[in-house]
Amino acid sequence: MSEPILSRNFNIPDAHKLSVAESRGAYETAKKVLATSKPEDVINAVIASNLRGLGGAGFPTGKKWQFLPKDNPKPVYLVINADEGEPGTCKDRYILERDPHQMIEGIIISAFAIKSHKAYVYIRGEYVEPYRNLQAAVDEAYKKGYLGKNLFGGTYSLDLVVHRGAGAYICGEETALLESLEGKRGLPRLKPPFPAIVGLFGCPTIINNVETVACVPHIMKNGAEWFVKLGTPTCGGTHLFSLSGHVKKPGVYELPMGIPLKEIIYNYGGGIKGDKQLKAVIPGGISAKILTAAEIDVKMDYDSLKAAGTMMGSAGIMVMDENTCMVKMLYYATKFFSHESCGQCSPCREGTGWAHKIVTRMYHGEGTLKDLDTLLTIARNMEGRTICVFADAAAWPIQSYIGKFRAEFEAYIQNGKGKDLKPQEAVLQHG
Amino acid sequence: MNRAILNQLDVEAEKVVAKYDQKKAATLTLLHMAQDKVGYVTPEIEAWVSKWTEVPVVHVHEVVTFYSMYHKKPAGKTHIRFCTGTSCALGGYEKILSHLKKKLNIQNGEVTKDGKFSLEEAECLCACECAPMMQVGDKYHMDLTEKKVDQILDAHK
Repeated sequence: MSEPILSRNFNIPDAHKLSVAESRGAYETAKKVLATSKPEDVINAVIASNLRGLGGAGFPTGKKWQFLPKDNPKPVYLVINADEGEPGTCKDRYILERDPHQMIEGIIISAFAIKSHKAYVYIRGEYVEPYRNLQAAVDEAYKKGYLGKNLFGGTYSLDLVVHRGAGAYICGEETALLESLEGKRGLPRLKPPFPAIVGLFGCPTIINNVETVACVPHIMKNGAEWFVKLGTPTCGGTHLFSLSGHVKKPGVYELPMGIPLKEIIYNYGGGIKGDKQLKAVIPGGISAKILTAAEIDVKMDYDSLKAAGTMMGSAGIMVMDENTCMVKMLYYATKFFSHESCGQCSPCREGTGWAHKIVTRMYHGEGTLKDLDTLLTIARNMEGRTICVFADAAAWPIQSYIGKFRAEFEAYIQNGKGKDLKPQEAVLQHG
Repeated sequence: MNRAILNQLDVEAEKVVAKYDQKKAATLTLLHMAQDKVGYVTPEIEAWVSKWTEVPVVHVHEVVTFYSMYHKKPAGKTHIRFCTGTSCALGGYEKILSHLKKKLNIQNGEVTKDGKFSLEEAECLCACECAPMMQVGDKYHMDLTEKKVDQILDAHK
């Protein structure tokens, strides 16, 4: 890819400050759009651009905006999901910390498009330093008249509040996020009604990811057609891929939608650390089904990955070399989901805990072959039986790790690996 | 002692509550503010948040127990969140965490005898590109080695 778009300021010193951001063109597009365009123009451009929700779901952004009720007397809210928490993902942190004005400009144009006058950014609680940069950027924008009353001296007004979460993965689920933003426990809501109809404080609400809104100024500046051409026929633009695990050069890479996974690992990631063989890759955060080394020719976009039986998710790519123990990796996956289940639905609350107990026992050398089928039964009874997709996400690693590496699991159990070790030591010595 | 601190926070609390469309939405923010000053969430803090948000104190308590960042008992002067996510596991965090525990002489969820540090084994903190990592106070420390851990702890003494 020739020119970086979303990441163009990531390595510019002090790009989080307004003076530097403006010298790089920040807010020019927002000023122009507010002065010369109608809200419908923005919505039409975003629809034409094939921009899809980059938080993980991949839902067409413009279509989502159109779900808002017409002739609605209540206020409309724009909520930005900056509750990045999907293991393997670190992309939104780069925007929040290094180029917050890019996102604020995106919020201004997006809020204008959906006729909202109040936006909230829900940022994960542990992101203290990114929060400080973002809050400072918001304060600077207010001072300059880029937020608040009569933006850029025009007629449109917008308030923006940055809200910190407090440590709960589930709050990345959009309705749990709304509950949390309303000052409650983050328990996902039943849908319908969808947030576009009944969202924050019972009002119509659009929830968009950080990176998604950051794309909007670029679409308005360069045109929808330009954005479409960057990506695949069904998925416009570029994407920030988070690359971690056993690669030589982990990092956040902005690349076109549809780039082959193999190219990301070997060209951009520099190949496998220590020149070892690749064993497996998780392509889209811990919730995505695992791919074997034979499956990495897949293209990285929502539709191709779905066709390959997994998902793009948050584009958090985790690479595992030949020495990686799959029992250990399943242990980490079930640990995560059992810790983060909100506890609202029984299949998830009980299922994630039960699965983790079995996998922990197995990992410590006390597993039986029958456990594998028990785990698959638990996974089947979680999938599709709860309010939100967390339980599905918890089931997928169980199904895919055992499904694709069953022989390794059986050998681990039969050879008595992990035996004669105390639990804590087992965690330290395997894999 | 809490009372005096909370009285000082009242001015700021009024501004915070005013930013939100509904008072109850300020719950998480007020809890963060008070915890930052006091070190953990006391019953007095829950009552203070309840007063400002006009929701029952039992509801505030429910929120406090749901989120991992609110300390239910006194934490160390510097709280350490050590990431135990998948990428950090691939990066071999176990050895470094074990070194840290030995050095501080505490386990997960404990506070050092001198009250300087507390340790929490955290789920993914989303700095996977720089695994293994930990958060010391507010700051993310990345690409950890045992030597780096020693230097970070020394700097906090």
